Amino acid sequence: MLEIQNLTKIYEDGTLALDDVSFTVEDGEFLVVIGLSGSGKSTLLRCINRLVEPTSGRVIWDGEDITAASQEELRKIRRQIGMIFQQFNLVKRSSVMTNVLSGRLGYVNPWLSLAHQFPREERERAMHNLELVGIAGKAQNRADELSGGQQQRVGIARALMQNPKLMLADEPVASLDPATSHSVLKYIEHLNRDQGVTVLCSLHFLSLARRYGTRIIALKAGQIVFDGLPEEIDDHRFKEIYGEEAVQVEVR
Amino acid sequence: MNFEDKTWLQRGRWLLLIALAAGMYVWSWNAAGMQPSLLIEGAPKARGIIKDLLQPHLFTRPEEIQEAETVIEAPCSGSPPSPAPDEGSSDGPAVQIEPACASAEDPVMVSGFGFRPNTSGRLHWAPAGMQGRLRDEQFTTDAQGAFTVETTVPPLLEQQGGVSGVVAQVEWESGALQPSEPLRTTIEKIIETVFLALMATTLGGIIAVPLSFLGARNIMPRTPAGNAVYGLTRGFFNVMRSIEPIILATIFAIWVGFGPFAGVLALSIVTIASLGKLYSEAAESIQEGPIEAVTATGANRFQVVVYGVVPQIVPPYTAFTIYQWDINVRISTIIGFVGGGGVGFVLRNWINQTRWTWASVAVWAIVIVVWLMDYTSARVREAIV
Repeated sequence: MLEIQNLTKIYEDGTLALDDVSFTVEDGEFLVVIGLSGSGKSTLLRCINRLVEPTSGRVIWDGEDITAASQEELRKIRRQIGMIFQQFNLVKRSSVMTNVLSGRLGYVNPWLSLAHQFPREERERAMHNLELVGIAGKAQNRADELSGGQQQRVGIARALMQNPKLMLADEPVASLDPATSHSVLKYIEHLNRDQGVTVLCSLHFLSLARRYGTRIIALKAGQIVFDGLPEEIDDHRFKEIYGEEAVQVEVR
Repeated sequence: MNFEDKTWLQRGRWLLLIALAAGMYVWSWNAAGMQPSLLIEGAPKARGIIKDLLQPHLFTRPEEIQEAETVIEAPCSGSPPSPAPDEGSSDGPAVQIEPACASAEDPVMVSGFGFRPNTSGRLHWAPAGMQGRLRDEQFTTDAQGAFTVETTVPPLLEQQGGVSGVVAQVEWESGALQPSEPLRTTIEKIIETVFLALMATTLGGIIAVPLSFLGARNIMPRTPAGNAVYGLTRGFFNVMRSIEPIILATIFAIWVGFGPFAGVLALSIVTIASLGKLYSEAAESIQEGPIEAVTATGANRFQVVVYGVVPQIVPPYTAFTIYQWDINVRISTIIGFVGGGGVGFVLRNWINQTRWTWASVAVWAIVIVVWLMDYTSARVREAIV
C-alpha cells in the first residue's frame, strides 16, 4: 500500500507544483493521474521515488517512510519501483542490451557493473524481458536506431529488470502515435493484471485513462480535484478538470 | 506629409549607409596597398618558383663522370708542349686543342672523342699553378661520343704563364632511382610532426577534461563560487584561444630551446584552450533524462556516472580529440617555422636557401598528410558519434 500524506512541493523559483496532496493506492491498482500540462503530475510521480525532493509531507510505502529514508535505504527502495518516461530516457548511444541491463544496477555487484560485467543469469533475464516486450531481435542495436514505440518497450524491459512491485509511468505514451500507445499501455496493463504490479500512470487523454485505469485522480494546479472511478467523470467533471473551453479528444 | 517625411528619412539612411560602406572600402583598398597590375608585371619573376614548386625533387640517381685532359701553353714559348700520352685504353675519352699554344683571347678549338654519346658536359680550364678550375662552354656529345667547342683562351692562363690544363667532363645519372635527400628528410620530419601533434593533443586533452567540467554550466553549482569558477575557466579558454600558436611557440623555443619539445608545449596550450571549450559544450549538452532513469533504478553514484553520463560524453570527447590532432598537425607545420620542430623547420630552411624544388617536397607532403588526417578523422568521427 502506498500512502501519500500532505505532499507539497515548491520549486526554487517559487512554483507551487504540489499543494497538500493526500491519497492512498492499494496494491494491485492501476491508478491513472490526469490533468493539464503543469498540473503537477510529473512532480507527484517523481516525489514518490524522490527524483524530486518533496518540500513537505510524507510518502509511505508498505509501512516504510520513503521521505525519511537515508541514501542507502532509498537505493534499496528505488530498485523495487520501476519507472518509465515520456521521452523514454534511454542512453541513446548505448545498445538496447546495455540499457536493459542498467535496470538491474541496484541488485548486481556494483564494482563488476562499473566494468560492464553482468552475470550470465542477468543477461538471460534481460533477453527474457526483451522477449516479453517483443523486441529480442534488437538487443545489439543502438537504442537510437529504434522507433519511438520500440524505445518505450526497451524502457519497460529496463523497468522489468527491477522486478518492480510498483511501476511509475510518467506520460508513457505522450510521444507515441495512437496505435503504438495502445500496445505500450497493454504491456503495462498486463504487468498490472497478471503480475500484480501496482501502477501509477499519468496520461494526457481521458479516453486512455478510462480504458486502462481502475481508478483516476485528477490534478489541477497541484491539488486533487477528482478521485474516483473512470466512469464517474462526466462532462461536468471534465470541464472542472480541464477548464471550460476544453473539448474531449478521443484516442481509440 | 508624415508619410513623405518617413520616406525621405529612410532614403537618407540608405544613402548614408552606402556612403559609409564606400568610404570603408576606399580606406581598405589603400590600407591593403592593392596594385592588381603587379600581378601581371611580376608574373615572369614568379614563374621560376612556381615551376620549381610543381617539380618536387623526389628522386635522384647516382651521378657518373667521364673526364679527359690535354694541355695548352699560354703564351707561346716556341717549343710546344707535347700532350700527356693517354695512359688508358685507346677506347677511353680523349681531348685535343688546336692550336697547342695561344695568347689571351685567341680563338681555340677543343674537340673530344670517345666520350659517352649524347651526353652533356662542360669544358674547364685548369690554369697552371692553381688548384681551382675555370668553367667554360657547355657541350653535348654526338652519337659517336665526339664534340667540338670553339672558345677563347681566358686571360688568366696567360697571366699564370706556362702549361695549363684543358679538361672536358661529361656527367650523367645512372643506376636505380633513389629517394632524394629532401624526400628522406621530409618523410622523417613529417612523421615527427604527426607524433609531435599526437603528444600535444594527448597532454592538452588530459588537462582539458577536468577543466571542461569546471567550464560546464550544468555541472557547476549556481552558487557565487560555482559561477566564479565557471566564469574564470571559460575566460581562460577564450583568452588562450586568442593567442596565436606562433607566439606561444616562439616563447617556448626561447624557454626550452629550438626543437620538437617547444612545439609540443605550444601545441599543448593551444589544445587545452580549444578542447576545453569544445568539451565543456559537449558536457553542457548531455541529457538529464538517462541520468534520471538510471538513478531511478537504485543505481549508486558511480553507476549513474558510468551508465548515464559516460556514454553521453565519451563519443563527442573522442571525436573532438581526433579532430584536434588533425588541427595540431596543421598548426605544427607553421610553428616549425619559428623553431617548433617537425617538417615546418626544414621547410623554412629550404625556403631560406631558395631550394624551391626541395621546399616543394615538404609542401606537397604537408598537403597529402593534412588531407589524409582530415579524411580519416572525419570517417572515424562519423563512426563514433
